[in-house]
Amino acid sequence: MTPWMASGLVYASGLALTAGSITLLYIVTRTFNFAVASMATFGFYVAYTGVAIYGGLPYQYYPLVFLFGSFLGIVCYYGLNRHLLYRQAAEITLMMSTLGYDLVLLSFIQMYADFLTHTYRLFPRRVTMNTYDFELFGERAAAIILPIIAIVFLTALHMFLTKTKFGVAMRATIENPILAGASGINSDKVYLVSWVISGGMASLGGAFMAMAMTGSPTMGMFTIPLMFAGAILGGLTSLYGGILGGFMIGMTEYAGVFYLSQQLGPWVLGYRMGIPLILMAVTLLFFPRGLAGIPLSKYLKSLSGKKRGDGV
Amino acid sequence: MLTVTNLNSGYGKLQVLYDLNIEVPGKGITVIVGPNGAGKTTLMSSIMGIARVTSGEIIYENIPIQGELTHNLAKKGISYVPQMGNVFAELSVMDNLNMAGFLMPRDEVKKKSEQMTEIFPVLKKFIHRDAGTLSGGERRMLAIAMGLMKNPKLMLLDELSTDLAPIIAEKVMMEVARLRDELGITILMVEQMAKRALEIGDNAYLMVSGEVRYSGKADDLLHEPELCSMYLGIKPDSGQIADVAKPSVEGSEE
Amino acid sequence: MSSEKMNGIKFDPREFFLRREVMVIIVILALLTFLYSSRGVNIILTIFIDFAVFAIITMSLNLETGYTGVPQFGRVAAVIIGAFAVGAIPGRIMAAMMGLPSGLEYASDTVNFRLVPEITALLTTSYLYSLLFLLGSLAIAAVCGAGIGWLISRPAIRLKEAYLGISLLAFGDFFMWVGHNWTGLVGGSVPVNVPDPFRIFGGMRFTIIVLVIFVIAFLVFLYLQKLTKSPFGRSLRMIRDNDVSAGAAGKNIVSVRTQSLVIGAAIAALGGGLYVLYVSSVASIGFTRLTFTFWPWAFMMLGGIGSNIGVLLGVFLLSILRTMIVIFRYQWFGFLTVFGIDPLWLEFTLLGAVIIIVILFMPHGLVPEKIEPMLPKSRVRRVLERRQLAKEGAK
Ligand SMILES: Nc1ncnc2c1ncn2[C@@H]1O[C@H](COP(=O)(O)OP(=O)(O)O)[C@@H](O)[C@H]1O
Ligand SMILES: [Mg+2]
Repeated sequence: MTPWMASGLVYASGLALTAGSITLLYIVTRTFNFAVASMATFGFYVAYTGVAIYGGLPYQYYPLVFLFGSFLGIVCYYGLNRHLLYRQAAEITLMMSTLGYDLVLLSFIQMYADFLTHTYRLFPRRVTMNTYDFELFGERAAAIILPIIAIVFLTALHMFLTKTKFGVAMRATIENPILAGASGINSDKVYLVSWVISGGMASLGGAFMAMAMTGSPTMGMFTIPLMFAGAILGGLTSLYGGILGGFMIGMTEYAGVFYLSQQLGPWVLGYRMGIPLILMAVTLLFFPRGLAGIPLSKYLKSLSGKKRGDGV
Repeated sequence: MLTVTNLNSGYGKLQVLYDLNIEVPGKGITVIVGPNGAGKTTLMSSIMGIARVTSGEIIYENIPIQGELTHNLAKKGISYVPQMGNVFAELSVMDNLNMAGFLMPRDEVKKKSEQMTEIFPVLKKFIHRDAGTLSGGERRMLAIAMGLMKNPKLMLLDELSTDLAPIIAEKVMMEVARLRDELGITILMVEQMAKRALEIGDNAYLMVSGEVRYSGKADDLLHEPELCSMYLGIKPDSGQIADVAKPSVEGSEE
Repeated sequence: MSSEKMNGIKFDPREFFLRREVMVIIVILALLTFLYSSRGVNIILTIFIDFAVFAIITMSLNLETGYTGVPQFGRVAAVIIGAFAVGAIPGRIMAAMMGLPSGLEYASDTVNFRLVPEITALLTTSYLYSLLFLLGSLAIAAVCGAGIGWLISRPAIRLKEAYLGISLLAFGDFFMWVGHNWTGLVGGSVPVNVPDPFRIFGGMRFTIIVLVIFVIAFLVFLYLQKLTKSPFGRSLRMIRDNDVSAGAAGKNIVSVRTQSLVIGAAIAALGGGLYVLYVSSVASIGFTRLTFTFWPWAFMMLGGIGSNIGVLLGVFLLSILRTMIVIFRYQWFGFLTVFGIDPLWLEFTLLGAVIIIVILFMPHGLVPEKIEPMLPKSRVRRVLERRQLAKEGAK
C-alpha cells in the first residue's frame, strides 16, 4: 500500500462510522446530530487517555470509547432530544439543540485537555496517535485493523437490524412510526437505542480518525462538515448509504490531495477540505438525494435481467 | 366499551373534528360512514393518540385514554388497521406479521401467523417478499392479517374493503362479522362499502364535515333515504352503490 | 390579545414593566451600570462595539433565517468575504494610487507592515480622504458580500431544511479554509494590517468608532424594519410559513429567496468589514464558524427568531454576559484553575447552554415575533372599533 492509501483507509473508515452515525440518527429521529463532532473528539480522548496514562495499544480501549460515546448519546436523548421529539419540534430546532449540546461538550473537552496538561504533564492538544501503533505485515497496523473492526462492527449492526426482533422493530419504526406504535413498539426505546448506537459509532469513528490525523480538541469541529458531507452524499435515507458516503468522502480527500499536490504543488494541502466539499456540492447538484437517489439497483437489476416483484 | 365525548381534534393548527360524540358498545360492530374528508380517519387517529386532541374525552373500559401513547393503547388491547400506510413496505411479509405480534410471545406469534396464512393463502405464497412489492389488494389483506394477529379487545378498522376485489371484500366483511360473533371482539369500522357495512353493523354514525349527522341503529340509517342518497350514494329504491365521489363534494360544502 | 392593548389607549404601568422587552432592557441597564462602576468606561465601549458589530451580523442572519426560513449555518462566509475584501482591496487601491506595491506582495508581512502606515499617514491628512476611504471600504465589502450571497444561493436555494443548513455550513467552512490558506489575499495565517480611517481622530478614535458602528447598525435596523414590513417582507414570511401555498399564490420562491440571501450576505459582509476597520488588521484565523455563525445564532435564538427588536436585545444581553465571563473568570471560577483549567472555556459552555435553554424553555425567545397583520395598523384598529361598537350595541 502507498502511504496515502494506508492513512486514507484509516481516515475513511473513521469518516464512514461518523457519517453512518449521523445517518442512523437522522432516519430514526429526524435529528441532524451536530454533537457528533464532540462525540468523535471525546472518542479520541478516551483512547488517548488510555494509552498515554495506562499504556497498551489504542485498540484495546475501543470498547470503552464506544461506551463513552453511547453515554454521551443517552445524556443527549434524555436531557434534550426526547422532549423535543414529543413536542414534534421542527428539524432545524432538533439540529440546533444538538449544536448547543456540542458546544457544551466542546467546552468540557477543552477543560479536559487543560486538566491533562496540568495533572499528567501531557501534550493533549497536538497528538499523533500513530506513535502508539505497531507494524503488521510491514504496514501500519491501523491500516489493516481499523477497516476490519469497521467491517465487523457494521456486519454486527446489520445482523442486529435484520435478524433480531428489536432490530426489525427499529426498522419498522423508521419506516412507519405510526403503525409501529399501533403494533405496540415503544418508540421511546427505539430512539434511545438509536442514540446509544450512533453515539458509540461517532466516538469510535473519532478514535479511528485520530490514527490518521493530528488529534486535538477541535478535530471534531473541523471535520464535522466532512462527516455531514458523507451523510448527505449517502442520501440520508439508508444507513449503508451514509457509511458508503463517509468512506468515499474520506478516500477522495486523501487520493485527491495526493494526486493534486503531485501535479500542482504542496500548496494544495491547505485546501484539502475543498475536495470533499466540492464532491458533495456536485452530488447535490446532480443527485439532490445523494447516492441513494442514483437508481443504482435499477441499473444492476437491468444488467442481471431480473425483474422486481410482479405485483403493484 | 369506548366512549368519545365532545372531542375536538385535528392536525397542527387545522381543526377537523368538532364536538364529536361516539359510543361504541362492547361486542358489537359500530359503523362510521360519511363522505371523503369528513374526518373519519381523523377520529380513529385521535383515539390512537396520533392526531392532536385539543379537548374532549375518550374513555376506554372506563379509563380516559386521551393523551396516552400509541404503543400503550396497543398494550391495552386496541388493534388499529390504518387506512394508509398499514404495512411496513420495506419489511418482508413474515417480518410484518412478526411486528404485528410484537407484544406476544414467540410461539403464539408463530401459531397466529399460520392461522393468518390459512385465511389469506396469498400471504403464504409471498411470505419472504417485501410488503412494498405486493399489489394493493394483497397489501390490504396483509394489513388485515396484521390487525387480527393481535388478539384485540377492540379493533379499529379504517376502510378495509378499499382496493379489494368484490369477492374478497365480501369475504373480509364476513370475517369481520365472525370476529364479533365468535370471538366477541368489539369493532369500530369506517367503510366506503356503506350498504354492506351497515347490513352487518349494529350501530351506525354518519359523519359529515367533522360532525355527527346521524346516529342510531345501522339498519335504520339504511331506511333514511335522504341521508343515504345525499351522503352515501345509496339509491333508496335500488339499494345499489352509486358514484361516491360526487356527493361527497356536495357534502363537504355543507 | 385584548382590544384595549391593540388600541393602545390606556397606559398600565404594571403591564408595561412586566413586558418582556422592558424587563430585558432593565436587566441590561443594571448589568451595564454594574460593569461601569467596577471596570470603568472602556469596558462599556468595548461592549458597545461588540454589540453593534454582532447586531449587524445577527440582523442579517435574522433576515435570512427568521424571515425567510433559510437555516443559514454559513453566516461566517459572508462575514469573511466582507472582512477580507476590506483587508485586501481598499489598501491595494490606495497603494496603487500612491505608486506603492499593490500586487500579491501587498499582503506579504515584510512589505505590508511598512506600506500600511504610509497609507494611514495619507488618510490622516484630510477628513475627506478618511471618509471616502471608510465609505469606499464599506461599499466594497457590501458588494463582495452580495456577490458571495448570490453565488452561495445558486446551488443552495433548491434544497430544504437540514440539507440546506448543512450545505450552507459546508460552504461557510470552505471560504474559511480559503481565507486561512490563501496567503496572496490577506496573508493566510499572518495578519494583514488595514489602513485606519479613524486615526485622524487621535485620542477620540475609539469613541468615534463606537458612534460610527452604532449609527450604521441603527441604519441597518431601520432598513430591515422597513424591508420586512414591505410587500417583499410579506412574501418572505409567506414563503417561510408555507412555500407550497406561496408558490401557488404566484410568488417566485427562488427569486425572493435569492434576494433575501443576497441582501443578508451584503449586510453581514458590512459587519465583517466594520469589524476589520475597528481592529485595523485581518487575522484570518480569527474568523471561525464558532464566532461568526454560532454566536449570532445564539443571539438570534435568545432574542427571538423573526423579531428585529428581540435580536438587538439578545445580542446586547449575551454580549454583556460573554464579556463578564471573560472579565470575572478568575474571580468567579477560580476554583477551576486548581485543576489547571482556564475558565475562559466557560464562554463555550455559556454559548451552548443558552442555545439549549432557549430551545427547551422559551422557544420563541425573549421577544417573540409579532404576528404582523396583513392590513395596515389603522385599518385593523378601525375594524376592531367597529366590532366593539357592534358588541355594545348588541347588549
Ligand atoms: N396528516 C394530516 N395533516 C393535515 N391534515 C390532514 C391530515 N390528514 C387528514 N387531514 C385533513 O383532515 C380532513 C379530514 O380527513 P380524514 O379524516 O382523512 O377524512 P376521511 O377519512 O373521512 O376521508 C381532510 O380535510 C384532510 O385534508
Ligand atoms: Mg379516511
